[in-house]
Amino acid sequence: MTVLQALKNAVRQRSIHVCYVDTGSCNGCDIEVLACLSPRYDLEQYGIYVHNNPREADVLLIIGGVTPQWEDKLKMVWDKIPEPKVAVSIGNCPISGCVFSRPDTLTRAPAKSYIPIAAEVPGCPPRPTEIIQAILSVAPLIFRDWELRQ
Amino acid sequence: MRSIISYIRHMARPEWLKKFFFAKTAPLTTPAHFRDFPHLTDKECTHCFQCMMICPAPGAIEVIRTEKPGEWKPVIYPGHCIRCGLCVEICPELVLDAGRVHTKNAQDGTYMQFQFHITVNPVTCMGCGSCTVACPVNKEIDPQLAAKGTSTSDEVIMRVYKGINTVFHEDKCTGCKTCEEQCPTRSILVARVLEPLQLEEEK
Amino acid sequence: MKKTVDVSIPLGPVHPIFKEPCRIKCETFGEQILAAEVELGYMKKGIERIMVGRPWQEVMFLAERVCGICSVIHNFVFIETMEKISGVTVPDRAAYLRVLANELDRIQSHLIANFSYCYTIEHETIGMYLLNIRETVMDMLEYLTGARVTCAYIIPGGVRFDPDSEDLARIIHALDSVEQETRRYMGMFESGPLIGLRSRGIGIMTREQAELIHAVGPTARACGITADCRSDHPTYQKLNFVPLVRTEGDNYARVMLRFQEIMQSIGMIRTIILTLPEGKIRGGGTIGRGQTTHKGEAPRGELTYRIKSDTHGRVQEISIQTPSIMNIEACARYMIPGVTSVADVTSAYISSDPCIACTER
Repeated sequence: MTVLQALKNAVRQRSIHVCYVDTGSCNGCDIEVLACLSPRYDLEQYGIYVHNNPREADVLLIIGGVTPQWEDKLKMVWDKIPEPKVAVSIGNCPISGCVFSRPDTLTRAPAKSYIPIAAEVPGCPPRPTEIIQAILSVAPLIFRDWELRQ
Repeated sequence: MRSIISYIRHMARPEWLKKFFFAKTAPLTTPAHFRDFPHLTDKECTHCFQCMMICPAPGAIEVIRTEKPGEWKPVIYPGHCIRCGLCVEICPELVLDAGRVHTKNAQDGTYMQFQFHITVNPVTCMGCGSCTVACPVNKEIDPQLAAKGTSTSDEVIMRVYKGINTVFHEDKCTGCKTCEEQCPTRSILVARVLEPLQLEEEK
Repeated sequence: MKKTVDVSIPLGPVHPIFKEPCRIKCETFGEQILAAEVELGYMKKGIERIMVGRPWQEVMFLAERVCGICSVIHNFVFIETMEKISGVTVPDRAAYLRVLANELDRIQSHLIANFSYCYTIEHETIGMYLLNIRETVMDMLEYLTGARVTCAYIIPGGVRFDPDSEDLARIIHALDSVEQETRRYMGMFESGPLIGLRSRGIGIMTREQAELIHAVGPTARACGITADCRSDHPTYQKLNFVPLVRTEGDNYARVMLRFQEIMQSIGMIRTIILTLPEGKIRGGGTIGRGQTTHKGEAPRGELTYRIKSDTHGRVQEISIQTPSIMNIEACARYMIPGVTSVADVTSAYISSDPCIACTER
């Protein structure tokens, strides 16, 4: 790895683009992600920019238990994101289905069976402080020694 | 032009300038009054399973034996638990704690009470006896049920009497719903009736 | 054949402005919108089917998670329906505390709706200011109930926890800053010329059109229809509640009406805290068999629960009617086809405050 590549990785680590996908949630975790952007728990001070464009994203946030409509589309959105990429699931719904995992439900959790997930934040919904801690702990791992891992 | 003047007027206030240069964002800590995942206190668990009966999220709490003989402990799985605090409120031994639930309950004198009712549908019940053999309380009262599948004692919760499963002592039921899961025709239903109450007291 | 439709633009499920997946297909002629069609179905989880056969302590959490933004009102209306079935009465102090939690939830829901609108018209400054005061409101909610969202505070017979005088003093103190800041942002919104360019006269819906399509909530009250379910609730009648109405019917009227409702809610919370009666907070009582319908006023409109329960209080049949379906239909049929540019489609849609999670449970 040349010095230029190491420099590029170190710089890209400090400005991360996040795209989020709502695959059928109750909106509680969505609201807590928006609260992370508020001036109280400022997410942008760490260089993290939340928009909704898969083509320019580094981190994909998955919110909600996977409904039948989203089963094929989740894989399509994941494939659109260029490497290097990482997926983080927020809330209980992508882990286990939360209260919806009863016999006659329409959600098909876990989201792990559709795309590879690097970190999970439990809670229904998790507090903004917990979400920020999870994103900050996973963010340095995306770009570190990227060319060596190829 | 008007908007530029209003923005400049807004930005020239001393409190705005102070915040712009010196404000820091809040630290990433959780306040103490937040109802987090329940943690264990050092009280003794009597494995009454009421916390498992009240939990609304499937697979969130389990009461299991530990390595020490005769010791039981509830275990919470964070990926399933919705942090509602009902298990904290109902435990009669106060084994679990979360946020300010216990302080508030002690202050207000509030508590919750469980009652279990068993209903058998006489039309669809075929008297197979799967429920009477599966019930763990039945097996404790009359050990013959584990081996032979019939019972002659009248102290059990229910047994097959004249072709249909009849309930004798509803008050001994602990609400585990094992009979409901074993019944092949869905004829027996257990109702977990919860009543939130408050003690009468003079403040 | 003369072509009137140039191209059909889909505003797809994953969009920078939408928080929830929803498809709007607009038929355009140049820059003008001729018609719009809304396609839903990305969030259906089958909640009502899961609720069948369960007692109130499990259905309450499912009802709360129908919508995470307005979760307290779902909790409120569900428990009130169950109490209406079995004739359970609630002590006075608990009734006032329920209204307190409900109004706090209404304030934060209106703040999020106005933040979404300001974010859509690319005025992030006011949006971030609104999110900041929303954090103060969430702190108050956390102090009262123990959780920020999906509080699970209301149970049959009363409420779960009782605030002591220190908690109430903190809430009143925090309310002062919320009121002062909201008043300042209302002034900024009213006098901003660029905001006015994108909000006044855009997405107009007349009163006759709103009555035809049965619009509810602030969307209808901004067109001149006086309809608010809170007028029929006994505790609100004791607080002398009067619904607020505006007549313009465009984006500006809807957003200003929400600001005015925030100020009204702050006034109501102050009255409640100063005149809170002493007494018990739980009255006890079990749920029995019966069937009834009950309505409440969610931040987005009128919410109806129809429940039939069996002997020991388990839910046998349940049907929830949420307000957003009528507002989205009103938006697609009357607000969007009048706009003069594709960029105004999103702002007209967001100003009617849709909540897709409520619409498809």
